[in-house]
Amino acid sequence: MREMTVSELLKNGPKVINIGVEQFYEDLKSQEVPVVQLDWRPPAVNSELLSKLRRLRGGGKS
Amino acid sequence: MLLQRIHVEKGAYYDSVTLMLVARELQSMEGIEEASLNMATEANLKILAAAGFGVSDIQAGQSDLLIAVRGDGSVLEAAIERARELLKNPPGRKSTPGEYRPKSLDGALSMLPEANMALISIAGRYAGDEADKCLDAGLHVMLYSDNVPIEKEISLKNKAKEKGLLVMGPDCGTAVIRGVGLGFANACPTGPVGLVAAAGTGLQEVHVQLARRGVGVLHAIGTGGRDVKEEVGGITFSMGSEALLCDEEIRVVVLIGKPPAPSVEERILRILEGGKKPAAVGFIGGKASGDKPPLYLCRELEETAAVAAALANGKDPSSAREELFKSYERLKEKAAPMKRKGFIRGLYSGGTLCYEAQLIATGLIGSVYSNAPLASEMKLADSLKSRGHTMVDYGEDEFTQGRLHPMMDSTFRAERLLSESQDPDVGVILFDCVLGYGCHPNPAGQMAEAVEKARKKAGGRIAYVAYVCGVDADPQGATEQRKILEEAGVTVCDSNAEAARLACYIVG
Repeated sequence: MREMTVSELLKNGPKVINIGVEQFYEDLKSQEVPVVQLDWRPPAVNSELLSKLRRLRGGGKS
Repeated sequence: MLLQRIHVEKGAYYDSVTLMLVARELQSMEGIEEASLNMATEANLKILAAAGFGVSDIQAGQSDLLIAVRGDGSVLEAAIERARELLKNPPGRKSTPGEYRPKSLDGALSMLPEANMALISIAGRYAGDEADKCLDAGLHVMLYSDNVPIEKEISLKNKAKEKGLLVMGPDCGTAVIRGVGLGFANACPTGPVGLVAAAGTGLQEVHVQLARRGVGVLHAIGTGGRDVKEEVGGITFSMGSEALLCDEEIRVVVLIGKPPAPSVEERILRILEGGKKPAAVGFIGGKASGDKPPLYLCRELEETAAVAAALANGKDPSSAREELFKSYERLKEKAAPMKRKGFIRGLYSGGTLCYEAQLIATGLIGSVYSNAPLASEMKLADSLKSRGHTMVDYGEDEFTQGRLHPMMDSTFRAERLLSESQDPDVGVILFDCVLGYGCHPNPAGQMAEAVEKARKKAGGRIAYVAYVCGVDADPQGATEQRKILEEAGVTVCDSNAEAARLACYIVG
């Protein structure tokens, strides 16, 4: 189970997925922190529209 | 004759820092007068139109990139090609070429299964949804992004609380977890102090001032400024405070921020009163002050650090406070040979530093105009035009849309310094240079260059006062940065509170 409490985060230190500004990824690497840079792209359609489409596809089931 | 071109790169997303760095490279090309790279959002199209680019025929959506260049017609094509080249391997990227970048959160988690936190700094309109996904995956979240609606902040924080997870932000620029700096953070030593802060540069200032006093910080939990508003109810602030009280390695707790909503302040203070650890409470500009153990109430950032350092070292906090305020009195002697006539113009990259400087100056020399004023009647009609004593926060949204944050690039602020020096009513120019991870490699150099130019034009009419918020272990090196400013004729102070006071005594 990945979920860990705030106390566990403070005890173990951060292991980070960086989503966005590349510099923060570089800074974490320079501090020898385990970090992965996500190659993030904006979604093609907005999430509200996507969930509406999903609902339609699910035949009214939400 | 100058020509212009806008090239649309379909479906190409890059973060704002990369786009700024590439634009800066293009601007240094011979024959190029102006260059900008922006995602084709409505706001960015408006900015381009205001800059004189013809955008009416542009067929692009917010997932497309616009490369806009103006200059000598013969180099425009080459500049666009150069931009496309640079985007393949952006300037400043030190990573190994070919390093694999997962395209989804699941992919990232399979690469780093032990991940426990996400640092999110994408555009605000997407950041909330990404944070939601990260919470679903069981990750704590630091949301650097701003422009996330408050309703989204509330729902994220409630969801996180149920799961026992922390959401730092939105608009959380700085945090430290187990000595690791996240976002804009200083490379200070670790030690027995834990911070919770609703103020980014407020956190940095207290972190640095503790380091100056030989006291380290193990954790500094950022909450984002809105966390202490009534609507959000201090969810992250309370969770952070509770976690620090439970943490066996933390001996002293420090809280920093502008004064919270009364109900939130009461809730937070009750948590600390119930704890067994002394706490320095720095709600800057708040009405409460004095020592009510285990709470020690402070009104300024350096004061909070001095009190916390005394508590960590087993010394008397009230004498530490007295000592500090006596040292501020001695600044009057320092100011005597520097006396000038006229107004103070403060140019800040740190929002909390600007706020604290306004509080101090208002107490000593009267009201201060600002784009982020203490009272609404002191708001500048035009942030680019000073009047009377003025202090400008260059980190406000109006200055960061389409530009890098001033902690990442002071070009725009340095230009303002030069124009302020032309105003015959100005006696002191006051500014900060914030160091640390994520910040510009040489902010003092950028500002010093402007000071040198200003001194050539204005002679000795103006005194220049600055504060360097940083430590020697920061990538920029605090001593080195101070030296650059001092060589340019700037008087550099040891804290933000000191710099603001010195400026006031010079004109007062």
